[in-house]
Amino acid sequence: MRNVLERVLNLLAFLLTVGRPVPADEIRRTVAGYDQDNDEAFKRMFERDKDLIRRLGIPIHLRATGTFEVDHGYVIPPDEYRLPDPGLNDEERAALWLAAQVVRIGGETAGMEALLKLGGSQTTDAIEPFGAELGSEVDTLADLYQAIVDRNFVMLTYRDRRRKVAPHGLGHRMGHWYLAAVEGGDTKVYRVDRIEAVEIVEGDAAFARSPGVSVRQALAAHPWEAGSEARVSVVIRFDAEAAWWADRRLDPAVERRPTPDGGVEVTLQVAHLDAFIGWLLTFGAEAEVISPPEVRQAVIDRVRGVA
Amino acid sequence: MLPWVIAHRGATVTEVCERFGYTRKELLADLDLVFVCGLPGYGPGDLMVAYVEDEEVVVETADYFGVAPRLNPAETLALLAAGLTMVGSGQASESLVSAVDKLSRSLLPPDEEVLTVDMQVDATLAPLLRTAAAEGRVCRIEYRALSTDEVTTRDIEPWTVFSSLGNTYVAAHCRRAGADRVFRVDRIKEVVLLEETFQPPARLPEPQVRYTPGENDAIAVIDLLPGAEWVVDYYPVEVLSRDGGVIRVKFSAFEPTVAARLLLRLGSTGSLVEGAVVGEALDRLRARILEKYGVPA
Repeated sequence: MRNVLERVLNLLAFLLTVGRPVPADEIRRTVAGYDQDNDEAFKRMFERDKDLIRRLGIPIHLRATGTFEVDHGYVIPPDEYRLPDPGLNDEERAALWLAAQVVRIGGETAGMEALLKLGGSQTTDAIEPFGAELGSEVDTLADLYQAIVDRNFVMLTYRDRRRKVAPHGLGHRMGHWYLAAVEGGDTKVYRVDRIEAVEIVEGDAAFARSPGVSVRQALAAHPWEAGSEARVSVVIRFDAEAAWWADRRLDPAVERRPTPDGGVEVTLQVAHLDAFIGWLLTFGAEAEVISPPEVRQAVIDRVRGVA
Repeated sequence: MLPWVIAHRGATVTEVCERFGYTRKELLADLDLVFVCGLPGYGPGDLMVAYVEDEEVVVETADYFGVAPRLNPAETLALLAAGLTMVGSGQASESLVSAVDKLSRSLLPPDEEVLTVDMQVDATLAPLLRTAAAEGRVCRIEYRALSTDEVTTRDIEPWTVFSSLGNTYVAAHCRRAGADRVFRVDRIKEVVLLEETFQPPARLPEPQVRYTPGENDAIAVIDLLPGAEWVVDYYPVEVLSRDGGVIRVKFSAFEPTVAARLLLRLGSTGSLVEGAVVGEALDRLRARILEKYGVPA
């Protein structure tokens, strides 16, 4: 590993200084560590190092060395290399450091590497007693994020089907990450942990963003509002014992109608019946569907174990 | 590390180590590595100069590493998500809000909603519990128990408030149970901060809910039929076998009602194979709900 780092540092130092595209064989002759006798060995080594450099976030491009585009060489454009300075002060760095300590994505702490590139932070003794696990894997999220920023079409494998979509935004809600994308003219939402594979569609021009696609608006406030089924108005009555708990678990926008016995009645718009019944049954016998009759029957069938 | 050290001449070993999470040994090893790298020719004057003198970190003739490389997508996303999570939970300090604002302007495309984090953390109780945790104050809570749905009053020593997979929790020592517990914040009816303080543990627990089966647990063996596969991802079950579309799992919980409630929810897509106590709890639960609806069992 040490040899690799040494070689890569030498390559970066060279490319950042010369300021012109450098052909591979010149790199092989000039930069320490690349003087391999064997063509294949050099090629493999150089390919691996280029991958490593790109993974670090450093742009390395193949460009023509002259106006006639006969020879090509590698170049790191300084303005693409440079991290724009966001102008963080020490308190802001320390606050980010604390946030990065307590937020996890798929079990990994989030953001420490980025913070090091931004100049690190003095550690503080402060303890942040709030934390979060955001689920999902950072690799898939990162691929989607890059495609969104670059406006690249991606091929998603989702629910056993491959779909070409224009990715617009990522949002986290209720424990899951979602991708808002345009597929064949429609805005759709995909749950990121159900995306089996993401491939950038090569060779296509960048897509034009559709105005008005908002991942926040595309996400449902309650799980039973998700899905494309027609919505049904369902009236539910909660007992006095469970009224506060229902209140805590419903979106503030839902109107609460108190009942004479201290309970509460609400009307919910249900598109996904299965998700709704699953949620309702967590209230046990302290909640009852009043109408419509077919939803009431669906709850009874579920409780009897026949549906 | 290099760009910062180059920009801050005279930084001490201690400062650099603290800032970048190095041990002294790691820092010296990295400086040694830098020392043997540089520009073609690789003679004195071409190589970078990196060493420690009088506790000062010296890096010279390496101006091309004076600026940091930009963030890769994973780094950008992770840092922004961490910041947005705290801001979205209403738990962020002023510095964090301005830091996230600066980062968003610098890293995200303007006028495009490409990344949002919506935490849906309870706006009243979560900040109250977080304050209690920060100040080491004992809290009296009214809690709707997961197992019995009864509301009980208990004194807890709250350590940390965290959000995991859509729910907000408080990890605490429960004086009533005489043990460490994780409480779901949406099930807490009331919180009162008491005057009494406590000494928090040296290491806060990880922000996740992990169930460790106990000796006296109620055990159920359940067959999951097509449509119920999600249970394997959401509950700490042990998969016993997979046969065609049927997954047989072992479900362990401190109360039989926990498994009974899952079976109720699964309806015809789950069936109890073993666990008489769980079966009885399920029957009681069913009878109570059907009575409510005024229909025979």
